[in-house]
Amino acid sequence: MTNMEREDGTTRDDLVQRVALMEAMIAEGRRSTARWGWVFVMWGLIYFAAMAWVVFLPFKEWAWPVCVAFGIVVSVVKGRAQRANGRSESHRSRSIEAVWQIFGVAITLYIIGAITSHHVNLPAYNATILFFVGMAHGTSARILRWGAQGLAAAIWWACGIATFFFTRQNEMIAIFLIASFFGMILFGVYAMWLERRRAAGMVQAHA
Amino acid sequence: MAEFEQEDGITRDELVQRVALMEAMIAEGRRYTGRNAWIFVLWGLVDLAAWAWQNYSPHFGGPWAWPICLTAGVVLTLAGKTMQKSDKGYSRNDVCSRVMGVWGMMGLAMGIYVASAILTHFSWQYSYIAGLLMMLGMAHAISAMLLRWRMQGLVAAVYWAGGVAIFVCNSGRATNAIMLFEMGIVMMLFGLYAMGREPRRSDVKGERA
Repeated sequence: MTNMEREDGTTRDDLVQRVALMEAMIAEGRRSTARWGWVFVMWGLIYFAAMAWVVFLPFKEWAWPVCVAFGIVVSVVKGRAQRANGRSESHRSRSIEAVWQIFGVAITLYIIGAITSHHVNLPAYNATILFFVGMAHGTSARILRWGAQGLAAAIWWACGIATFFFTRQNEMIAIFLIASFFGMILFGVYAMWLERRRAAGMVQAHA
Repeated sequence: MAEFEQEDGITRDELVQRVALMEAMIAEGRRYTGRNAWIFVLWGLVDLAAWAWQNYSPHFGGPWAWPICLTAGVVLTLAGKTMQKSDKGYSRNDVCSRVMGVWGMMGLAMGIYVASAILTHFSWQYSYIAGLLMMLGMAHAISAMLLRWRMQGLVAAVYWAGGVAIFVCNSGRATNAIMLFEMGIVMMLFGLYAMGREPRRSDVKGERA
């Protein structure tokens, strides 16, 4: 095919280069999410631990604050160590980071507001949290054009809808645990598996 | 300044070009938001209309005020976007696509959230209303981060403050007032502000041409 030039001076080669650049940025964004796959697994396990504490252990009111604080500390410390490794980051992976940081700020404000005004454990409160997580997954999936993460978002939203319909405490807990397992832990394990496979591929290529 | 080459082979000129490209994409992203700012104004009006209908004509189909107005809002938004896309000069870059993705996901999440709450009669709970404002704030904040746009960041902070205020005030009258302010006035004001910025940029573009 000839190298045609459009009215605005953009050649076919320019367009091909731009598409290649965008594809590379999307791939880098997915790799970046996969490198952070452990965070999804960890938070899924933290939700399970907090729920187990609430159901089986004393001092139930401390379950969520302690577990969430532990999760935040580990995320920050391990995240800094990971960043210090000096992995390159594209503009797109920084966008994904922004999505999750803002999600963190929004959900923290929401939960603190609800706890201090005694609005927790209502159906709308629980559904809102599920929708928040789904929205963060959905936005990330849309930016990275990633079907697997889109599925995780759909799971969170479906569970959010279910929370409006199944409003007993036990039902809401079960729905939350289902969302955590499929939308957080399984997705995180899948992302980690992708990262491991890529790393193994790189080692083979070197050899 | 002399041209230096880094370990990874990227020259200073290449870095300057990349930064310029990113800045151009961010500027185009803001213009894209400006071109679509009519949606904020439209939804501000939709929310105000539904609120006025529910409060001033409660006996004239009051319970249907929100479902009807929200449906009308969705139809008008889709019609407007279709018309906009058929325009000759309509184009968008990577940053615009990301911003569009953020708002698309917000719209989808909020649509399902609102429909579920209305269907199950939970739309009166403060945690639901606060959740709406927090979601809107989240979309504004992500867009503000992508576009490095302080004004939009401020709008996000106002929405989040509204969400927290609903919990703190814990009263029907305060919630009504906060919703009216946030969903009507803040939404429209930001839309008008973003629309106001857009023509000035077009003028500059016209001068260049």
